[in-house]
Amino acid sequence: MAKTNHKENNHKPPLPGDYEGLQGNLKKVSLNTAIISAIFAVVISTLLLLNYLQLAKNDPTESTTLTALTQRLADDPGNEELKEEIRAFDLMARKAFFTAKWQVKTAGWLLLICGIVLVVSLRYYFSLRSKIDLPENSQVSEQAQRILSSKWILYSGSALIIIALIASYFSVDQLKGYDIETFSENTIDESIEVIDLTNEGQTNDSGLIENEIEEPLEGSVTEPEATITTDNLQGGSQQKPVDNRSDLLLIEQQKKQSNSFRGPLGQGVFYVNNISVKWDVNSGENIKWKVEIPLSGYNSPIIWNDKLFLTGANSTERWVYCFDKKNGKLLWKHQANNIAGSPATPPKTTDDTGLAAPSVVTDGNYVVAIFGTGDVVCLNMDGKRIWAKNLGVPDNHYGHSSSLVAWKEKVFVQYDTNKGGRMLALHFQTGEILWDVSRANHISWASPILAEIDGKMQIVTSSEPSVAGHDIETGKQLWKVDCMMGEVGPSPAFANGLVFAANEYATLAAIDPEKGKIVWEDNYYLPEVASPVAADGLLYIATTYGILACYDVHTGNKYWEADYGEGFYSSPVMADGKLFAIDMNGVVHIVKADRELQKMGDIPMGEKVMTTPAFTDGCIFVRGNKNLYCIGK
Amino acid sequence: MISQLITYIYFFLIQIFPALGGEMGGILAQQQRFPKPEFETGYTQPSPTTPEPRLTAWEYIDVSVLVLVMSLAAWFALKRRSRKGLLWLSVFSLVYFGFIREGCVCSVGSIQNIALTLFDPAYAISIPIILFFTLPLLFTLFFGRVFCASACPLGVIQDLVIIKPLKLPQWLRKTLGLIPYIYLGLAVLLAATSSEFIICRYDPFVGIFRMGAEFSMIILGIAFLLLGMFVARPYCRFLCPYGVLLGWMSKFSRFHLNITPSQCIQCKLCEQSCPFDAIDKPSEKLSVENKKLNKRRFSIFLLLIPVWIILGGFSMSKVHSFLSKAHPDVYLAELLIEHPELKDDPENIDIQTFLSSGKTMEHLVEEAKLVKQKYFTGSWILGCFLGLAIGVLLMNQYVLRRRKDYTPNKVDCYSCGRCMDYCPVRPTSNLRKMAEGESATAKNEKGISEKTN
Ligand code: SF4
Ligand code: SF4
Repeated sequence: MAKTNHKENNHKPPLPGDYEGLQGNLKKVSLNTAIISAIFAVVISTLLLLNYLQLAKNDPTESTTLTALTQRLADDPGNEELKEEIRAFDLMARKAFFTAKWQVKTAGWLLLICGIVLVVSLRYYFSLRSKIDLPENSQVSEQAQRILSSKWILYSGSALIIIALIASYFSVDQLKGYDIETFSENTIDESIEVIDLTNEGQTNDSGLIENEIEEPLEGSVTEPEATITTDNLQGGSQQKPVDNRSDLLLIEQQKKQSNSFRGPLGQGVFYVNNISVKWDVNSGENIKWKVEIPLSGYNSPIIWNDKLFLTGANSTERWVYCFDKKNGKLLWKHQANNIAGSPATPPKTTDDTGLAAPSVVTDGNYVVAIFGTGDVVCLNMDGKRIWAKNLGVPDNHYGHSSSLVAWKEKVFVQYDTNKGGRMLALHFQTGEILWDVSRANHISWASPILAEIDGKMQIVTSSEPSVAGHDIETGKQLWKVDCMMGEVGPSPAFANGLVFAANEYATLAAIDPEKGKIVWEDNYYLPEVASPVAADGLLYIATTYGILACYDVHTGNKYWEADYGEGFYSSPVMADGKLFAIDMNGVVHIVKADRELQKMGDIPMGEKVMTTPAFTDGCIFVRGNKNLYCIGK
Repeated sequence: MISQLITYIYFFLIQIFPALGGEMGGILAQQQRFPKPEFETGYTQPSPTTPEPRLTAWEYIDVSVLVLVMSLAAWFALKRRSRKGLLWLSVFSLVYFGFIREGCVCSVGSIQNIALTLFDPAYAISIPIILFFTLPLLFTLFFGRVFCASACPLGVIQDLVIIKPLKLPQWLRKTLGLIPYIYLGLAVLLAATSSEFIICRYDPFVGIFRMGAEFSMIILGIAFLLLGMFVARPYCRFLCPYGVLLGWMSKFSRFHLNITPSQCIQCKLCEQSCPFDAIDKPSEKLSVENKKLNKRRFSIFLLLIPVWIILGGFSMSKVHSFLSKAHPDVYLAELLIEHPELKDDPENIDIQTFLSSGKTMEHLVEEAKLVKQKYFTGSWILGCFLGLAIGVLLMNQYVLRRRKDYTPNKVDCYSCGRCMDYCPVRPTSNLRKMAEGESATAKNEKGISEKTN
């Protein structure tokens, strides 16, 4: 038996002839089925392959025409025809895409069926002619195999170890070489260039800056030399000469603008003159223009040259608006949407805060706005988006309200939430986070201010439990004084080298930041929302129950108080030697900046005002709950 | 012969279908990235919704199906001794666990969930996953690798495409057998450090089950299936990390499939029947010299085990830095340090996501350093484990086992049942079966005749 070559069927029990034929037929049928299904499969896969190649070459989702058209639209956003064209193209691309998808899907299923038929028929075919292999004749000895295996395992084990060692030699631990300084310098260098350019541009525009710096300025208290010392912008009476010329230029440039909440550096002092103290909203006397603001918000007007910026929001939309300062015309608006990380449903806020409480900041090249959703958006002066990002939705039971301040290439965000405090610096131009430090502070609603302390610009913040100064380059906390309590709303003030911070139920404290010590303290009148303001040796407080009070910055001696009956949410500010404080009913109270109380006017705006006015070029800009006003001659 | 060749080619071509299926998946992914024409029409993009997770009830149904399939497999393999039963059961598993359940949840991948749970207390593992991990091990401990025979979708898809399995020399099998240990160790390390689930990511067949995956993965899947026609179950034998654990269990299995239903008559018919070379032959008689040699080698390799462990641990700890790149934080931090200019690349989604997350570079680097530290410890453990595996494997070559009969190698045998059909011996004690056995005899005779072909 072993020697003969038999056909398998010969050893079946005797079968009728037609059964044998049937076996043969089955073999044939299964082979044919296999062949046919294989041919079918080949055809389908070829078609699919072609389809795929065509798709790869001509991907409708990456249509160059569409990209080109969209790019053209960016340059010409109003072109309706272009929009129509894009829509048509887009529809075509979608159709092509979904048709291709359908084709692939159908063909895929057909192929699967062919595959199954092929496998089954092949298996059947092979089962009919299956054979048993001969036992191996030349047996390799077990011992020899054993030795061979152990050799190979030994080799490959050693190879594994050697490879690992060699690989370790070539792998570099990048983290070890990491140095934060060198890393961030690269980016800062680039942006300094940008700032310099701005300065040059500004100098050419006005041609005045150089001269102004040379002149001793009005009100200069201690320094007789040619530095700018009139004001809070540098360390007041104790300041050291600013060594950086670009700092000086920048300060000078900002003094002409109202680039952030409560004016230059956020200190509440405006460097303007010829401000009207008499106007009438009803008769239109000294009202240059008045426009309705599309969406409400408690942020204050921010101005650079001829452009005035505001934001507005409701529960579904958030917008940045740019008005023409000269006539109140809405120049452009930009919706802060489609931002990665932005929450689908905005966080809950109370009506007196909303989603657009923080004011924007600008450096004359870019405007950066932040909303209660944690969305930050940067636009150029023409309203084109430069970048946008979400800083993480703030956990804030009233709504995020801290405004932005900026210095050179950095925009600073005080991000104190129920989840802890953070202070961030974003790059104006790129939105890159230059630093992000966490603070041991509780949630707050105050805005940071900038102040030159000890010859260097610092960010000064106030929130429970401390008033603190941060280094602008690294965000490092340089000093802090624990004196705040509760839900801090008022931002700090700065004058004569002292930082002033106050909050209802806490205290009013004058702090020497260089020593990190409280100089004097008082708790008779305390503000709840409106920020203190200080200049020329005097400090002013406006409370929620309607008191306006004036103190000596050095001693804390109270010079005067005035009870207006209606509380203040809008922060009092200094302009043109006067204090402007707007109560919640929208009455602008004007008081001479002096040790004696000298009321110069109480003028109703005719609507509620919660925001802080801005001043440039002899005009006052007031944002009421509905309208924006420009007051001036 | 030619027709056979043609059918092979056809078979090859048919394997392309998953690749094209893969394109489908690619396109589907693109659908999400399709640019949206937005002209500030006031239309707000609806926010994406997260679909509900599969009902837990269904997960328990999966577990029940798994238990049922394994029980049936054990019954078919040990009691009924039916290759056919196992085959159809495996077809069912391929359809259910493979195509319907799309290769997930799978016991092979569950190793990673288990590893992550052990090391990350914040990770909540679901009970069905634990069951998917433990039940096959438990079944294997009792009945051998019946899970591999008919339940594992990865195993059965390879099993079904075996056409002409080649014999692999023992040294090659043993050497390649090291890979699953490496894969297992790496998978556990990467999962435990919350870096990645490599078993799932590089699962070669999941793209076929889902009719869609990355192009390269589809190619890999086809390659495995093509290879699998000639080298039976290549993934199971030379990659599967779960197979390592199953092998350990199976080694001690209480009841295991046997080739012969009663007494082996040394007819050698089954010798070549196993496509996986998992049949151990009766042991050779050794010369006294060889016996001595083996004993000596055994003791040397035994003593060398600690050396292997230390060497392995040391060398692996050296590559911890390289390995840690598998963690996204380390990868990103190193990328940004090496190429700070990439920050301005709007196309690099990883970097853009990081930038918009509001995290600072310093923060990232700190986190990355912590991860590296974990990797250092992990690499030491991985290295020691691999060293141990190599050492024991070497030693095992010289462990002398006396075998009289042809038996399945409990570690390597997938309990597929093929060899049983080759055994001409009839079950002795069962008279009823004897009666039925007429046909079996006929078949066996057929087998004997064919062998002589
Ligand atoms: S060896 Fe691994 S892949 Fe193969 S059947 Fe077993 S568990 Fe599945
Ligand atoms: S059952 Fe037999 S043929 Fe199948 S793997 Fe085990 S030894 Fe090999």
